[in-house]
Amino acid sequence: MIRRMARSRAWRKFTRNRTALVATGVIGLYAAIFLTIVGTQITDWAGVTNIGSRQGLQMRVLPPKWPGFLESAGIEQRYDAHDWQVSNLNRLFRKDLESMADPSGELAAVSLGERKLADKPIAELRALNEQLNEQFDAVGEVYDIYDEVNEEHHDLDDAIAKAKEGGDEEELAALRAQIEPLEQRRRDAESQLSTALDAVDEVYEELMPQPTGFGGVVYRFRTMFGSDVLGQSISGRAFYSIKIAFQVGLVVATISVLIGTLLGAVAGFYGGWIDSAVMWLISTLSSIPYLVLLAVLAFMFSGHQYFDNSAEYPELQLVKLYTAMGLTFWVGTARVIRGEVMKIKELEYVQAATAIGFGRFYIVLKHVIPNTFHIMFINFSLLFIGAIKSEVILSFLGLGVSGQPSWGTMISNSKDDLSNYFFWEVGAASFLMFVLVLAFNIVSDALQDAFDPKHV
Amino acid sequence: MSLIEVRNLTKRFPIRGGVLNRVINHVHAVSDISFEIASGETLGVVGESGCGKSTLGKTMIRLLEPTAGLVAYEGEQITGLNHSEMMPYRRKMQIIFQDPYSSLNPRLTVSATLKEAIKLHRVLGDGDSMDDYIDTLMRQVGLRPDDKRKFPHEFSGGQRQRIGIARALCVRPTFIVADEPVSALDVSIQAQVLNLMKDLKDELGLTMMFISHDLKVVEHFCDRVLVMYLGHVVEELPTDNLDRDAEHPYTKALLGANPIDDPDDRRPLTVLQGDVPSPINPPAGCAFAGRCELATDRCKVERPVLERKESGRMVACHEVA
Repeated sequence: MIRRMARSRAWRKFTRNRTALVATGVIGLYAAIFLTIVGTQITDWAGVTNIGSRQGLQMRVLPPKWPGFLESAGIEQRYDAHDWQVSNLNRLFRKDLESMADPSGELAAVSLGERKLADKPIAELRALNEQLNEQFDAVGEVYDIYDEVNEEHHDLDDAIAKAKEGGDEEELAALRAQIEPLEQRRRDAESQLSTALDAVDEVYEELMPQPTGFGGVVYRFRTMFGSDVLGQSISGRAFYSIKIAFQVGLVVATISVLIGTLLGAVAGFYGGWIDSAVMWLISTLSSIPYLVLLAVLAFMFSGHQYFDNSAEYPELQLVKLYTAMGLTFWVGTARVIRGEVMKIKELEYVQAATAIGFGRFYIVLKHVIPNTFHIMFINFSLLFIGAIKSEVILSFLGLGVSGQPSWGTMISNSKDDLSNYFFWEVGAASFLMFVLVLAFNIVSDALQDAFDPKHV
Repeated sequence: MSLIEVRNLTKRFPIRGGVLNRVINHVHAVSDISFEIASGETLGVVGESGCGKSTLGKTMIRLLEPTAGLVAYEGEQITGLNHSEMMPYRRKMQIIFQDPYSSLNPRLTVSATLKEAIKLHRVLGDGDSMDDYIDTLMRQVGLRPDDKRKFPHEFSGGQRQRIGIARALCVRPTFIVADEPVSALDVSIQAQVLNLMKDLKDELGLTMMFISHDLKVVEHFCDRVLVMYLGHVVEELPTDNLDRDAEHPYTKALLGANPIDDPDDRRPLTVLQGDVPSPINPPAGCAFAGRCELATDRCKVERPVLERKESGRMVACHEVA
């Protein structure tokens, strides 16, 4: 079978298409990530990386809405972040650590985001924390100046606006002359504040160093796209969503192609009332919008012990998605397969099989369905992306995945912050989805080209 | 004793239409045909496209269910038998198809195609080797035994037709319907395949029904020929000398349409006028009356039956004595 595939014309044609090969590679990469995450969940790798684990996804890795690479955090954001770090560390060092039974264990358990306390004696850590507090107080002083300057700047802007309205040219010129020195003062204050924050960063780095080695890679990965409103890792959630997407895509496409092929082949081959019944089912089901069906199922299952976001079996909440899409998506495949089977059953090799004495069921299985494999293949890849796109839309609407990340929920969560130039969450989710869907579209196009006998 | 007996065989295809998908008409493909084929004989069936010769062949081996009439094999009626009762006769009667490109499953190798048939009918005894049997078959039809591992698309048209012949022969049948087996092949390949079939027929003692639209091929290949026109047999004659024996005006016209391979032998060319009537509403009288030179008023209202004339010929015509 495989040897024949490698020699076949369709396969050669497919491999000549460079873009399609690259797209196949991209899909392979996604599949590898999918398998890694599934592996993490069913084995104990979660302890090593926590990339795929639920705790890892809900963990606060950075201050909220921290930007990803290529963009640095603003001054206010850095100030807020240090405020959070200092108050957390102070709470820790206020404890009487020296008299504890296992102080090192207590310290090792402390983590802010992905960072842990440096491996140093308690006294030294305490000294570093003192230093951090001093530096942060210094920042506070500079921050007051910066605040004042900003205040003045606002007042000046207001005064200029008022003067413009009054039409007092002389006053306007005088006010405008003040702009330049004020701007200078603001730049000075900013650079002072920035230096002071750098100093805090330095101490903080010593107290809670960035992880190195494998932990460093994980840290870099998890902070790559910044954090969302709750400080959770965007990259972690975006990559975890690949698992949900693949899961929905695989299950829905498999169910749909199986039902579609079976019913389509039976309808096309036997004809008569079976054909009429299947065609009636097809036209009935295709007149039901799957969104409505899904809404019905979602309300049916809401509050259910197992099917609605249960802690025990979180995967079961997807059953409603599988059902709604599986019930409605197979009709397209069934239509195409039915047409192809009606063509194939008139071919002479099917008649030859009848003449030899094979039963009709055997002929359908052995001679008819295998000759529709290419259609099944193409339909599978089309349904796969169809299911993923639907899952994202449904999750965005709040009907699909809940309690675990999905591209749809990510986009839905961050839509309010988009107007504040916070694009990392929407960007990461959309980008990963876009690349996957694009790759699948290219591959199914190439498959169609390769299998279509009209373009030799 | 005759191996195959066909009595009043009729096949009509329903045409459905209207809102409720009712049967509104029929295509009269085969109408009331009777004949016998003796054991070891080769019967030719000729006629132009759409005259029902393929339908006749397929109905005889029950690829199609007859509307009326019966088919008997060695005196046993096979029409009306169910699937399992039919199985021993399926093995005895095989078919070779016209189009070598659609008659082989593109997903099965040659040996897989042959194997499934051999296994179904348990052709081989316990001690026999499947591989040896397939190799013998391959050699018998003039293919290399190594080719059995190949897929159909790796063969040429003539080779594919040989595989089709091997598939028909692998269950050791006694009767074969050859449905225009060479009309899709090049002339040079036609001769090879025809000679192969003739050799195999003599070697295995096969009885054959050879469907063709080429009178020359039938003359070369068959012992006896049925000439069909619009679902009816119009003449039945031996193939010793068709030019001399043909009596029916349609048979004569068919023979006249054959090119003559002698430039000095010039005869007036009789070209048939008009078209074949529609098989949906066939005329009440003789189907050929509209195109016939001899046609009288009687021909238009009364259908002639196939009967033995005074000359000893089997002809369906009022005007032939």
